[in-house]
Amino acid sequence: MFEWLMVLLGWGSVLLFVGVSAVKIFKLSRLPLNLRWEVYPSPHGPKERRRYGGSYMEETDWAQKPQTESFLLAELAEMGAEIFFLKRVRKHNPYGLWPFSMAMHWGTYLLMGWAGLLVVERIVGGVGQAVVLAYLVNSVGVAAFVLGAFGSLGLAVKRASHADLRLYTAPVDYFNLLFMAAIFVSGWLSWLADPALASHRAYVGGVLSFSPAALPVLTGLCFLLFELFLIYMPFSKLIHYFAKYFTIHLTLWEDSFRVKGSPVDEKVAAQLAYRVTWAGPHVAAGKTWLEQAQGEKK
Amino acid sequence: MKKITRLAQIASPGDEPLAPLSVDELMALPGLAQSVPPLAPPKPRWLESYDFSLDGFSDFDLPKPTTPEEGERLVNGFLSGLEKLFDPQNNWPFVKNLRLAMDYCVRCQTCSEACHVYVGSGRQEIYRPTFRSEILRRLYQRYLTTGGKLLGPFLGADIELNVKTVWRLLELSYRCNLCRRCATVCPVGIDNALIAREIRKLFSQELGIAPPELLKKGTRQQLQVGSSTGMNPAGFRDLVECAEDIILEKTGKKIKLPVDKKGADILLIHNAGEFLSWPENPAAFAILFDAAGIDWTLSSEQLGYDAVNYGVWFDDVELARIAMRHVTLAKELGVNKIVVGECGHAHKTLCVVADRLLPGDLSLSEMPRESCLPLFWEIVKSGQVRFDPARNDFPITLHDPCNVVRLMGIVRPQREVIKAVCAQPLREMTPQGVENYCCGGGGGFAIMDTLNFSQWRNNVSVRVKVSQILAAFEDVLDADADKCVIAPCSNCKGTLREALRHYGLEEKYRIHYSGLADLMVNAMAELPGPYIKWNQEM
Repeated sequence: MFEWLMVLLGWGSVLLFVGVSAVKIFKLSRLPLNLRWEVYPSPHGPKERRRYGGSYMEETDWAQKPQTESFLLAELAEMGAEIFFLKRVRKHNPYGLWPFSMAMHWGTYLLMGWAGLLVVERIVGGVGQAVVLAYLVNSVGVAAFVLGAFGSLGLAVKRASHADLRLYTAPVDYFNLLFMAAIFVSGWLSWLADPALASHRAYVGGVLSFSPAALPVLTGLCFLLFELFLIYMPFSKLIHYFAKYFTIHLTLWEDSFRVKGSPVDEKVAAQLAYRVTWAGPHVAAGKTWLEQAQGEKK
Repeated sequence: MKKITRLAQIASPGDEPLAPLSVDELMALPGLAQSVPPLAPPKPRWLESYDFSLDGFSDFDLPKPTTPEEGERLVNGFLSGLEKLFDPQNNWPFVKNLRLAMDYCVRCQTCSEACHVYVGSGRQEIYRPTFRSEILRRLYQRYLTTGGKLLGPFLGADIELNVKTVWRLLELSYRCNLCRRCATVCPVGIDNALIAREIRKLFSQELGIAPPELLKKGTRQQLQVGSSTGMNPAGFRDLVECAEDIILEKTGKKIKLPVDKKGADILLIHNAGEFLSWPENPAAFAILFDAAGIDWTLSSEQLGYDAVNYGVWFDDVELARIAMRHVTLAKELGVNKIVVGECGHAHKTLCVVADRLLPGDLSLSEMPRESCLPLFWEIVKSGQVRFDPARNDFPITLHDPCNVVRLMGIVRPQREVIKAVCAQPLREMTPQGVENYCCGGGGGFAIMDTLNFSQWRNNVSVRVKVSQILAAFEDVLDADADKCVIAPCSNCKGTLREALRHYGLEEKYRIHYSGLADLMVNAMAELPGPYIKWNQEM
């Protein structure tokens, strides 16, 4: 029975993770277009200008110039530095969180990668460079467990032991870290009990072929926690990596000016027709934003 | 000294300040300790009527609630505003950003050291960028989210909403300069300055509560009279004549400032405060534009002569109204573009923030709005005006107004201009450019002086800037020579004026301040003598 539940959970957790994340992202994307609110430096513009944080507004008559250039590579480089090296945490965090945060983030990336590799190995098993793949699966898994455990436990200790951090840490923050720590530690222990990760491979194979395999306790615990975590993650702030697209890419870096007749212009026109119900004495309640701007209640 | 142990203390009863300040707790300013007066407590008669229960300072001369009914009205009004803040129609300008900030901050405190108020205060907890944000977040979770209603204490949504919470949160929203330096270092892109602004907006748009200088004497007066200074069109025309007199007196040139010239290339809009406090600055623009052969005009229509838009600090409705009037006036004059004078927040408002708040006919593609700084650089590059750098042979440092530099990316033009018109190399502040610190007057603080608020500004929010200025002139501090801080922004100049006075820096070290146009005109080779006179009140 438990083995069957684990098979269903294996599929269900992935589907829920993808589905709930997609719904969350869709809902965020449906919220109104915000006002321009960029900050510099941004990864837009020529390299020399990016170096010191300049923008196209350093020139005269910029509104006469086309806004067609793409800065995707520079954006990816900046995002990569943040995602893979936590650049801002390393440079600016005054509480020494960077090594632990790096370890936890890399532990998570590798854990996700390890799960993917297990699936790939099962699908292409025995074909071509299977030995290399097997070696990769084992190394990535162990690295994920060790780094993740060190990082999440280290962050939990940091948060609990420093008065400044403790002040802002809610029970849910400890829960998140300890939840993650439990996955990594159980994974680590399961590897110690089964250094060849044979039971892990058997479980993933069983999920993919809908044929439940017997699970040792530690291996079962590791996958159970990981799958519950996949279901929990989209409901928590742990999906802040999606949020970054909206906060950084679409706000802090969004510097294109509005052109009449453009899609942005049409969106703004629709939003100016929204009605205002603010009760301040200077606000003309019930009027649209456009009517407010046109001078109601001088 | 750490005074706060739990965020829930924000709701604690009593009139005693939650986190009182004393000078010896603030960031040290070596060499200035003796010349700074101690912080004075609020006057006893103020304490009877007004609330000082955050840190002992306030700009709000609003009577504190005296009956349970008054208190209940305030709390209910706050809750009603909180709901509207998260409503897509009532707060479309920033609802997405606010929701993201509420839901995805990871509480890593990476932003703390980026904040000059927090650092300048000696790292007092209540001034940490995340302090007010976390309180709003916990109220939002507790009162507006299903998760918070079901799992309040687990999520940290444990803050009680009472009169004290509301009042202290109002005060807290005016302990942030909105410089947004914290947003540039946040690994998740959370903008704590935006959260401060949204709290201000809630109070203004729902309860009509805002500092008197920003709402009653600010946007309201500007919309009714024409300027937040109280200047009407007739008064403006008088001041234009004064500027012409200044030009004649200082340069011997007879220049007629163009006013309401239809079809000019440029509509130049200054912060009207320049005409009153630093008329040499708009006069310097006229001298430069005349010499460069620029086709420009001023406007004498209501609002057309005052670029300020305080709405950008606290109220989207007022922001939209003022921006709409500015751009409409330019359309009516038939100019090709608006150029904003040396006023930082007017730069950001007209050139950036208002872009998506106006109808399509007034969008940037239809009526471009630009900074004056690139135009200055063009004037230098054109060679039409001859500059003699030897006329500016004194140590110079450059303040980077947040609104122009960090929030618009205009970094290089002002540096190129200084290089071209000054004899000595620019002494950059540390840090500089987009990383530079706010002057301490941003977000409205420059003009807020009700009750004892200016005391807080002069001691706390300007502290890091004063330290940067002293460091920039470190090797020439005691030299018998004038030194100058260039600040191409009216509110920054106003803040620096007060800071230099408060710390006695003009007297002690001969440190002065100036706008950029003034500095350029001071170097114009064709003029008979210096344009800037240090011993005059600036």
